Parts: sequence; structure tokens; C-alpha cells
Amino acid sequence: MAARQPIHDEQHHPVLKVQGLKKKIGRKWIVHEVNFEVYAGEIFGFLGPNGAGKTTTIRMLVDLIRPTEGQVHICGYDVLREPERALRCVGSIVENPEVYGYLTGRENLEHFARMIPGIDARRIEEVTQLVGLTGRIDDKVKTYSLGMRQRLGIAQALLGRPKLLILDEPTNGLDPKGIKEMRGFIRRLAEEGMAVFVSSHLLSEIQLLCDRVAIIGRGRVLAVGKVDELIQANRSYVVWELEPREPGERLLRSAAGVSVVNDAGSVLDDTIMAGIRGQAIVTQMQPELIPGLVQGLVQEGVRVEAVQKVNPTLEQLFLEMTEGESIE
Amino acid sequence: MKALNNILPLVKNETIKMIKKKRFYVILLVLLVLVPMFAYAQLRQAEDKREKFGTDWRREVQQAITDNQNSLGSDRVPEEWKKYRQIYIQQMKYYLEHDVNPREPGGVSFTREFLDNAATLFIPLLIMGVGSDIVSSERTGGTVKMLLTRPVRRWKILLSKLVTLLMFVSLIIVSTCLICYLISGLFFGYRGWNMPVFTGFQLRGVEVDLSGVHAVPQWQYIFMQAGLIWFVSIIVAALAFMVSVLVRSTSASIVIMMATLIAGNILTNMASSWTSAKYLFMVNLGLTNYLAGTPAPIEGMTLGFSLLVLTVWGIASLVVSFLVFTKQDILN
Amino acid sequence: MNRTSRIWRSAGIASAVSTLLLLAGFVYAVSDIAHPSAEAGAKAVAPSGMEQAVKAGVWDVTSIGDSLAKGTGDDTGSGFARRTVDLLNKEGATSKLVNNLGINGLTTEELLPMLEDPGVKYALQHAGIILLSIGGNDLFNGTETLTTGEQVPTQAEIDAAIDQSSAKFGQVVAQIKKINVQALLVYVGLYNPFSDLEGMRDIGNDAVARWNAMAMKTLGDYDGTLVVPTYDLFTNNSSRYLSSDHFHPNGDGYQAIAERMVQGIAR
Repeated sequence: MAARQPIHDEQHHPVLKVQGLKKKIGRKWIVHEVNFEVYAGEIFGFLGPNGAGKTTTIRMLVDLIRPTEGQVHICGYDVLREPERALRCVGSIVENPEVYGYLTGRENLEHFARMIPGIDARRIEEVTQLVGLTGRIDDKVKTYSLGMRQRLGIAQALLGRPKLLILDEPTNGLDPKGIKEMRGFIRRLAEEGMAVFVSSHLLSEIQLLCDRVAIIGRGRVLAVGKVDELIQANRSYVVWELEPREPGERLLRSAAGVSVVNDAGSVLDDTIMAGIRGQAIVTQMQPELIPGLVQGLVQEGVRVEAVQKVNPTLEQLFLEMTEGESIE
Repeated sequence: MKALNNILPLVKNETIKMIKKKRFYVILLVLLVLVPMFAYAQLRQAEDKREKFGTDWRREVQQAITDNQNSLGSDRVPEEWKKYRQIYIQQMKYYLEHDVNPREPGGVSFTREFLDNAATLFIPLLIMGVGSDIVSSERTGGTVKMLLTRPVRRWKILLSKLVTLLMFVSLIIVSTCLICYLISGLFFGYRGWNMPVFTGFQLRGVEVDLSGVHAVPQWQYIFMQAGLIWFVSIIVAALAFMVSVLVRSTSASIVIMMATLIAGNILTNMASSWTSAKYLFMVNLGLTNYLAGTPAPIEGMTLGFSLLVLTVWGIASLVVSFLVFTKQDILN
Repeated sequence: MNRTSRIWRSAGIASAVSTLLLLAGFVYAVSDIAHPSAEAGAKAVAPSGMEQAVKAGVWDVTSIGDSLAKGTGDDTGSGFARRTVDLLNKEGATSKLVNNLGINGLTTEELLPMLEDPGVKYALQHAGIILLSIGGNDLFNGTETLTTGEQVPTQAEIDAAIDQSSAKFGQVVAQIKKINVQALLVYVGLYNPFSDLEGMRDIGNDAVARWNAMAMKTLGDYDGTLVVPTYDLFTNNSSRYLSSDHFHPNGDGYQAIAERMVQGIAR
């Protein structure tokens, strides 16, 4: 982890800079206002539910869609004004890795290599090895599994030695082993200094993979920041198991800076809920208050059987930011 | 020169895709299946005639003249048809006067006649089979995203596709001629290269001006036919190309082009009184008619006119294709 | 190098060559159509081999002339030409129909230039028997008005027509004999199609008789000629032998004419 030290001081030029990006299709604003920057060596998450404008934004990054307003700079080049230079720095998979099924893996790579200056057969060999497709590279792509297509897609994205890698839902359709491999692979690329932009509607995915994240909902960026910082910015949840329950709960409700969550199931992940006994009381509070409260409870003769601090998930962050708009 | 160096690898890509997609092979296969059928049908027709006229083509031609003369007197025959027949009679008489068989059987003659018949529908359909697919298939398959996120300007990508399409237009026409000759030769023999064919009939109403008529060897005639068909095919290809850019689904774009071409064929047969139909491209596909001296479907059409109309359509569709493709948002 | 490169190279070269070839063809075609006379006469066609290749079968039949020669009115489309051929074949000769050159409504005046057509000459030269039917339209021009009975031609008009057409008829016969002197020229005599029409019967009968006499005399000057009378067939049997248009024979009528011809043809 030490090698992957994300650099984002203001002096350092961002690899990807998005300013005031807006898109109107018909009469509808699909993307209202998107701003963020991505720096070399970091994995940047782009989180939002389906229909939030994620794909439209990604397409605007790679010149598939012309923004109504705003600019995208990649490696300092404006994508609209100098698409050839800007796109030279990008490798991308937009949505599914759609390659030509009637060509072999190698023919596909050769096809895309011809579109980038200075890519030779050796580089094709390299990326093939990198994604682990060497054994099947001369088979027709229509015989590939989804995972192999995904890997071929990444191979073509890496062909031009990009400074920025854009992956749209990279773990879609992969099995758990494949997902784990993919995460490892993306981390390695970032460690080598590449900026990786990963979109996902899966919260756990971003939490496990990304250094920084932008959360998008209804065409607006709701928050940008380090994943840890975003979590810190919110109060944590604390789960209490008390005996007897009634006086304990009364005491917690009366304490300052503590609010009892009545419907715990709606705010906490199922995985966390599974580990909590039905009698537990869920509160939202600063963790620093725990020792004082425990002391108070004990003094009142309430036995504290368990106290558990639970970090909020990105879903909770999202719920708080959008005030109830849910993620499917 | 630099731009060419940029384009060439792209053309190579498109060529390889075209071949690997087996579209071209399908077209060759269609020809290999259909041409023997046409050849066999014609063989049977020739056998029928031989029963009546033996090997004597002069009697056959004279009988054709007499039959047509008879139909001229009939009130049931529409006036336009009479015009066709009058011109036909004059041409046939010219052949008889010069003692040249207008329908000498042979592989070369078959090819010539096949090209005449295939010029307005069959070959355009083949071209369309390749052209309608060339852009829309990338969109249907989603690979257009992969293509357009390369560091290559969109117009270059589209241009490479256009160049490839034109390359295959030429290949299709040449292969049609070759397949026709090779297969029909099995039925009729491979001779007839130097058989004289008359061209240069100039039409003045129902009168044929024979002052310009001259004989060319049949191979030269086919050479000219193929050139004219090539031009027509390029225009059809440009239109199919535009439809392919505008319509996302390959099947929809094939249907659109097919309907247009067939509508053109129907119009040619009945539009003689709707004169402004001559500005439609699909009525102008019969360029080989000007070579054979067959009257144009609508009054006032000449080779120059048809070439102009076709060129305007072709250029317009290319302009539309490039404007749309370079501006368009790739949403799906 | 590898397979894709081979595909590219061969497709590229083949299409480049094809394109150049087709472009040249296009340019050539356009200039040829635009200036057709540019090359006219440059390549003279070999003079016709028509004259020498004459090898007429003795029983082969060419019919020429008007709608009767064509067979109009015969539902089977055979006319006396094909029926004659069939009859000859039935009697053991090998006969075929070379050409049926009958054209509806043809007059002697229109027949004359036809005899200059190489194709017509050719068909006549290849016949051993030439069946000629002409003159009916000279006499009864505009059959439609006649059958409706509105415009009955006067005696004087018909007289003038006969005089005028007789000369032409002489030329026709001379020309046919010039084209093919060996062939037997069988002339189908006129009949009066209006024998059942009150106003026309006498005028028609008279005209037909005079014409037939003239024809007989004209043909009598040549060897190898035959006039087949039809006048008598239709005088009293018009309903049996005439087709529904009251002008042309029907199938039976043509059969009767053909039988007479075959009877008259020496074997």
C-alpha cells in the first residue's frame, strides 16, 4: 500500500480535469454540473445509481458525446479541441467491452493497435500476457467467456500505454474470483503510476478499490473526497447491547449528542444487521462519547454487554446526501 | 501524404473486417448460385428458339421485327411501348443490314446481356448488402465506442470506411463479370470476345439517328458497360453509406435501401408521365441503356442528365454522412 | 507476414486494379456515348455473307403480305402458312416455316419497301415456297368503317384503287421473283368479305373479280407461280369460314385455303 501514495496537491497537474460539465438531451438535463479531477497513481471511484448520469459523463470524457457546456482536459489537452492528443492518453472501456466477435483476440488487438501510432507486435504480446490471455489469444472472440472478453477489453485499453484508464463497471459479469483478480490488477496499474477512473453502482466495490470517490446522483456531483474522509465527515453508528434494556435506552435518549435510530434495518447493511441481536439499540453519535456513556450506564446499574462501532457505508452517505433517494 | 499514411492502416482494418465478416464471400456465393440458374434458363430459351429457327439467327431476328411491327398496329399496345418497339425494330434492322447477330450465343454475350439486366437492381442490391452494414454494424455491435475512443478523428474513420466500401464496389463488379463469364462459358462456350456490337444509336423521339452507330468488339462493349455500372454502384454505395450512418440497425438500413431500389424499378416501368420523377436517383440507374440505345424511362433523360442527377445525389449523401457522423452523440 | 496481412494485400491490389479498370471503362463509355460518331466507320463490319449462304429447302415456306398471310382471325394463330407446312409434312414432304412475315393492314405500297429489307430478302431466299397475300387492304381500306356500313366506298373509288395498286402489285411480284426466282410463288386470291352485306356485295364482288383477273395475268408472266382462288370459298359460306370480325378467315377458313394450296403445289 505504501507505493500507492495518491498525489493530489494543487501544483501537480491532474491527468483528468472535468469542469462544469453539462449535457442536455432534448429538453432534459442529463448531467447538471460535474466537476472533479483525477491524478496520476490514484484510483478514482465514480459512484452513482443507474440513471444518475454516470455513463453520459464517461462518454463525454472520451469524446463519444459532445458536452452542452463545460470542459474535459486529459493530460492538459481539451478533448473537444484536440481529441487526437487527448485520447492518445486514454485507454477506456465504455460499458461492456464490445469487440469484434468474428475476429480473434489477436486480430482485435491488431485492429486497435493500427489506430494508435507507434504500437508494435511486441506491445500486443505484452498486454496479452499482462491480462493473461496468451493461451486463447488466437481463438475467435465469439468463443470467449464474459470474463475473457473483459480481459481482452482491458488489454486493448492498455495498448497505447495510457496515462488514464477509464473503466465502466469493470467487475460487471465477473465471478467472485474474477472480481478479486480484477481489483488486484487495477491496484497494480495504479501502483505503476496510472490514473484509474472506475465507475460503479456497487458501493462495496468502490470502498474496496478506490482512493477517492465522486458521488453522483441525478446528474450532479454530490461529494468528492477521499473515501476515508467522507466516512469521517459523518457521524458513526454505535450499536449497544444493554441489560436491562429499558432504563439503558432511556438513558441513551436523554444523553446529549446521541440519537437513537428507531428503524435500524433501513440504515445499516444487511451484513451488519445479521451480526446484531434483536435487542440491540442503534444510535448515531460521535465515537468519542462512548466511554462517558458507558460509565453513566454502569453507574445506573445497567450492564453493558457489548458496544460496537459501525462505520457508515457509502450507501448511507448517499442516503444522507440525497435525503432519501435510494440506490437500487 | 501524411493524411494518407494515417488513413491507410484504417482502410486495412476495414478491409480485414469486411473479409472476416464474410459479407463479400456471401455475395460471391449468391453469384455462384444465381448465375448458373440464369444461364440455364437462357440455355433453355435458346433451345426453344432453335427448334423454331434452327441455327438461323437472321430468320429469328426478322421474325422479331415482324412481330414487333404487328404490335405497332394494335391499339391495345400503350404508346410508350410502341416507342420502344419502333426503336427496337430500327436497331434490329440495322443488325440485319450489317449481317451481325445481336444475340450470338456465347459466354461473352451472356455476360453482356446479364450486365444489362443486372444494372438497375441486381448489382445495386449486392452493393447495398455490403454498404448498408458498414457503419450500422458497428453501432449494432457497440464496437463504434471502441472505434471512436481511439486517438483518430471521426472523419478519418468514416473516410476509411468509405474507401473500403468503394474498393469492394469495384471488386463486386469485376467478380460479377468474371463469374458470369466463367459460368456461362460452361453452357455457351467461351467465345465471342470480338463479336461486333453496335452502339451509338441516338434517339430523337421515336426516330433512331443511325449516323453515330458504330461497331465495337464485344469485350469493349462489356468494358464500357462495367464502367457505367461501376459509376451507378458508387452512387448506390454512397446512399447505402448514408443510410448506414443515419440508421442504427443494420436490418433497418437494408430494408430502407432495398425498398428504395425496388421502388425505383417500379417507377421506371410506369413513371413516364410523371416527368419530375427523373430527378430521383433510382430512376437514373439504367446508364447502360444509353449504351444500348434503349429509350430512357422518362422523356428528356440523357446520359449527361443522369450522370448529373446521380452525382448530386451521391455528393449530397456523402455530405450528410460526414456531417452527421462527426457531430453525432453516441448514446447507446 | 500473417494471414490478415495477406488478405489486406490481395484485396488491396485486386480492388485497386479493378477500380482503375472500371474507371477507364466509365470514361471510355461516357466519351463514346457523348461523341458516338468519333469512331464510326473506323471498324467496318465484314460485308454480309447473306448472298452466298442461300440453300433453300424446296418445301420450306415463307409467307409474306397482309393479315391473311399472318393468320389474323385464326384462334390457333397458325394461319394458312403453318397449316400449309403441316399439310405438306403430313403428305411426306419435309417442310418448315422459314418465317411468317405477314403484317396486319399491309398494302402493296407498304410491302414494296419491305422487300428491300435484308432480313426479308433473306427469309424469302430461304424458301422453296413463298405464300403471298396482298391487295385486300388496297381495296377495302379501313375495314372498321366498312363493317359498320357507314362509309361504303363508291365504285369509282374502288376503280381508282385497283388501277393504282395493280402497278404496285406488278412491282411486288417482280421484286419477289428477283429475290428468289426458284421458289414457287403462291398468291392467295382475294375474296369478298362483304358478300353478306347488302350494299357491298355487288361492288365488292366486282372489285375482287377484277383484281383477281389482274393478279392472274401478272403472275402468268412468270414461271413458278400459282394463284389460289378463295373467292368461291367465302361467297356462300361466309358464316362458316369467316371469323367474328367478318373480315378475316377463321381457323376453318385458313385450313380450306391451305388445303387448296397444297393441292396446287406440284410434287
